[in-house]
Amino acid sequence: MAGSALRRLMAEYKQLTLNPPEGIIAGPINEENFFEWEALITGPEGTCFEGGVFPAKLTFPPDYPLSPPKMQFTCDIFHPNIYSDGRVCISILHAPGDDPMGYESSAERWSPVQSVEKILLSVISMLAEPNDESGANVDAAKMWREDRNQFNEIAEKLVRKTLGIP
Amino acid sequence: MRFLGISFVSFVLTSVVVANAYYQKKQFYPSVVYITKSNPSMAVLYIQAFIGVWILGKLMRKIFFGQLRTTEFEHLMERSWYAITETCLAFTVFRDDFTPKFVALFTLLLFLKSFHWLAEDRVDYMERSPVISWVFHVRILSLLLLLGALDMHFILHACQSTMSKGASVQLVFGFEYAVLITVVLNIGIKYALHSVDLNSETPWDNKAVFLLYTELVMGFIKVILYIAFVAIMVRIYTLPLFAFRPMYYTIRNFKKAFSDVILSRRAIHNMNTLYPDATPEELQAADNVCIICREEMVTASKKLPCNHIFHTSCLRSWFQRQQTCPTCRLNILRSPAPTAPTNNNIPAAQPQAAAAPPPNPVPNPYFNVFAAPGPNPFNQFNQANGEMPPQTPPPTPQGAAQPQAGSVPGQAPPPLILPPFPFPIPFMVPPPVPPANLGVLTDEELRQLEGNERRNIQARIQCLINIQTMLDAAVQMMQQYNVVTMHKLQPTTSSSSSNTEVPQESQTSESEAAATSSEDANREPARDKTNEPVINSMSESDVPSSTTPEEELRRRRLQRFLQAEQQQQPN
Ligand SMILES: [Zn+2]
Ligand SMILES: [Zn+2]
Repeated sequence: MAGSALRRLMAEYKQLTLNPPEGIIAGPINEENFFEWEALITGPEGTCFEGGVFPAKLTFPPDYPLSPPKMQFTCDIFHPNIYSDGRVCISILHAPGDDPMGYESSAERWSPVQSVEKILLSVISMLAEPNDESGANVDAAKMWREDRNQFNEIAEKLVRKTLGIP
Repeated sequence: MRFLGISFVSFVLTSVVVANAYYQKKQFYPSVVYITKSNPSMAVLYIQAFIGVWILGKLMRKIFFGQLRTTEFEHLMERSWYAITETCLAFTVFRDDFTPKFVALFTLLLFLKSFHWLAEDRVDYMERSPVISWVFHVRILSLLLLLGALDMHFILHACQSTMSKGASVQLVFGFEYAVLITVVLNIGIKYALHSVDLNSETPWDNKAVFLLYTELVMGFIKVILYIAFVAIMVRIYTLPLFAFRPMYYTIRNFKKAFSDVILSRRAIHNMNTLYPDATPEELQAADNVCIICREEMVTASKKLPCNHIFHTSCLRSWFQRQQTCPTCRLNILRSPAPTAPTNNNIPAAQPQAAAAPPPNPVPNPYFNVFAAPGPNPFNQFNQANGEMPPQTPPPTPQGAAQPQAGSVPGQAPPPLILPPFPFPIPFMVPPPVPPANLGVLTDEELRQLEGNERRNIQARIQCLINIQTMLDAAVQMMQQYNVVTMHKLQPTTSSSSSNTEVPQESQTSESEAAATSSEDANREPARDKTNEPVINSMSESDVPSSTTPEEELRRRRLQRFLQAEQQQQPN
């Protein structure tokens, strides 16, 4: 019998392929290794990221689902809650013990109840509504607060870039 | 490609050097002497040797590992970098014996170390891949045997050399290979555990525990080795700075393994003593899937005080990390087990209060809620209806909380609010009220009083929760009443329907997790699908008459929710 982490990841993968949620495609990069996934996230409608398709990489720890996976966008993205190297900073990806920003209540943190699907849905809602209290990208947070037009412009440029349109 | 170029250039250079020497000296022995005397020629030969080692490494990697994965490669690079710096540090300690042979031995050590690291990563990978071929097993087994044999050989060699010639750099090698052989052992044990797990038909729950203890024992051996090494080095040479980083990590890992074992033991103990096994009926009632591993629960499962059920083994590994319920985050350590503690505490509290100064000089806020002049809506309804449901006894001021909570039959935990402790609280006697003058009490009494205060607050919170449940029930009943009067049905039907309705109501509201009493009206259709036909016809005829766009929206939402729930059930 395979390890419990592997079995759960396979179950989640099956669930995601059978019942794909809107705007999300996710699965292992290589079916020999279920601990590294690739996800494609569509920018939510009615936001400045609308129409974009953003690729991201999910890395699962050996003790998944007891510990949360890590998520990193592999494209250029400018967002208050995403570090400039693409790492995503949202509370669902943090175990209750660690709180890098000191602003999250433990109720929204990682627990085995969460899943890849829930993470990706949270990321979509994060794209739609940035949390400018968490300064993963301070410049983006500042621009989001003070100069929304410029922020939208940058976002639009990134959306075009993900679609391969100059 | 670049590497190919370099090795080709090196090979050409070496041939030139050798040919040149042979051309000048014409004979084997003089040419060897010529080469060893000439520094440039030796440099070329060293580079050639290094490249030879490199090629051998690549070859071995191909044989034993095939293609390296990116993470394995990154890991290897990172560790090599540290190992090379440490080797350079080691050179400073042994600068007196700095010879080509010495460098060669260190290179060999690094070379073998890198294979140990790779083997470690590869065996960890066993848990991550669904496809493990027989090639994998052959490779790992032969590699482990080879590495183990080499390590043993070098340890013996180092021992002999130290015995015969006294302490030298061989001490470092002996020690390094001893550490490596513990690594080989560790990998071997892990490999065996993983293989057994892979070949078993059912999940092997205790594997995690075995791994934990392996880690602990191996960590302990390594720590002993490092401490002994540093002690010996300090006595003979100087402080071995190069060993400090690995020693630090070893000690840290050991500490972690140790605390893991302790946490795991505590978790197991708690689970065995505090939480009951889930009965088959309870498993049937819940949706039967363990939220941690997303697999069905057929065997060993435990029920937490919050009524959430999980696999025993899943819960154990989770409790090693956090002592909360994975679903509702109830803190397990702070809340007592379902039955015993609360029951025992309250009678114990009673004599305490009696010993304290005059009873109830301060009005009890908790009583005021119930002793309020007007009868509570629940009763009002019952009286107005002229029919008292048999389960509802008249509320008495003393035991107010208890019968009220019980008046909602078959009660599950109240919706939305996470109770600070398990729901059916055996709360017979109201908590004692603190005395007005605290100065009278001794320290001991104060401490006990403090303990009681905590319980009182908990009791008040619980009481408020009960009130909320009760109000929900009252609103529900009012609504039933409305339905009944609207349709001019006979009172007997109405009372019987209200009796059966209430528990279902509480379940619906619990699962919908958005229950406010104002929404009750819209829950009628939800019940239609699951309940008796009497109510069915009643509410169905009721619904169209009161439809507003808003309600229509809510009903749709509810339908979607129900569909989702139905979809979940077959899984
Ligand atoms: Zn489970
Ligand atoms: Zn719970």
